[in-house]
Amino acid sequence: MPLSDAEFVARVLVDDDHHAFAELVRNHQSTVRGLLRQLTGSDVALADDLAQETFLRAYKNLRSFRGEARFSTWLYRIAYNCFREHARKRRELVGIDEEQLAREHDPQIVDPALRQDLMHALSLLPVHERTAIVLCCQNGLSHDEAARVLDIPLGTVKTNVLRGREKLKRTLAAWAEG
Amino acid sequence: MIDDETLDRQLRDAAPYIDDNGFTARVMAQLPARQREPKYLRAAILLGLTILGSAIAYFVSGRGRFVANGVVELSNFPLWLLFVFFFGCGLVVGAFAVIFAIRRTPEVRDLARFRF
Repeated sequence: MPLSDAEFVARVLVDDDHHAFAELVRNHQSTVRGLLRQLTGSDVALADDLAQETFLRAYKNLRSFRGEARFSTWLYRIAYNCFREHARKRRELVGIDEEQLAREHDPQIVDPALRQDLMHALSLLPVHERTAIVLCCQNGLSHDEAARVLDIPLGTVKTNVLRGREKLKRTLAAWAEG
Repeated sequence: MIDDETLDRQLRDAAPYIDDNGFTARVMAQLPARQREPKYLRAAILLGLTILGSAIAYFVSGRGRFVANGVVELSNFPLWLLFVFFFGCGLVVGAFAVIFAIRRTPEVRDLARFRF
């Protein structure tokens, strides 16, 4: 019978069991890297660097995981914080502001004819809506869990999911017509 | 226009599984080395100190006469008082065991949060 995340975490905490932590990494690497790829606009190398940082931080701070949320939710929160820190550093270095970052992926200024699949449509959403969609619709987190991961009010998550969904539907409908 | 459920299902289906391709190995290579503290060192120190303390107490208290005196006094206690005494000791030890189990085990912490 496969062990649960909580059992692997307990083994790491009690025996500093690296094999158990490797299992945790193996089990969650795909979703964490997928989330970060979406956040970084499909920059695979950057997403993988941030994912590595995520798991290293998770290892160092494993004692702070209290089991109140799912382990995956806790990991997503660390991943999102890594991304936010990276984005902040990038803004400080290059001088990009929040609005500019959001406009980079604004569907209105990108030719939709070039984009044919759902993942592309998703990548066109502003980063806050894309993150909410990836967490709630793709990874099955509740709105409440996503609010905790993103550290924003529950209402904001619901709004972002709603707007993101509507934009996705409109984009997909427009392509289907075109 | 497609409905929410269909869109969510399509999003889940569209999310590709990302192959590990050495990712886990790269993460593991960056972890700090395991602490090689001998597993039984702490237990040996505690045991040694306990034996030392017991030996000192034995000689200081007149070669353990206090133990014999204690047993004699206990034997003079009424039966119900002995029962209450040992039952109380059991409760205290059991309570500490439960508290430490809850603090150390995530699964037990989860059980403790259930509201019946």
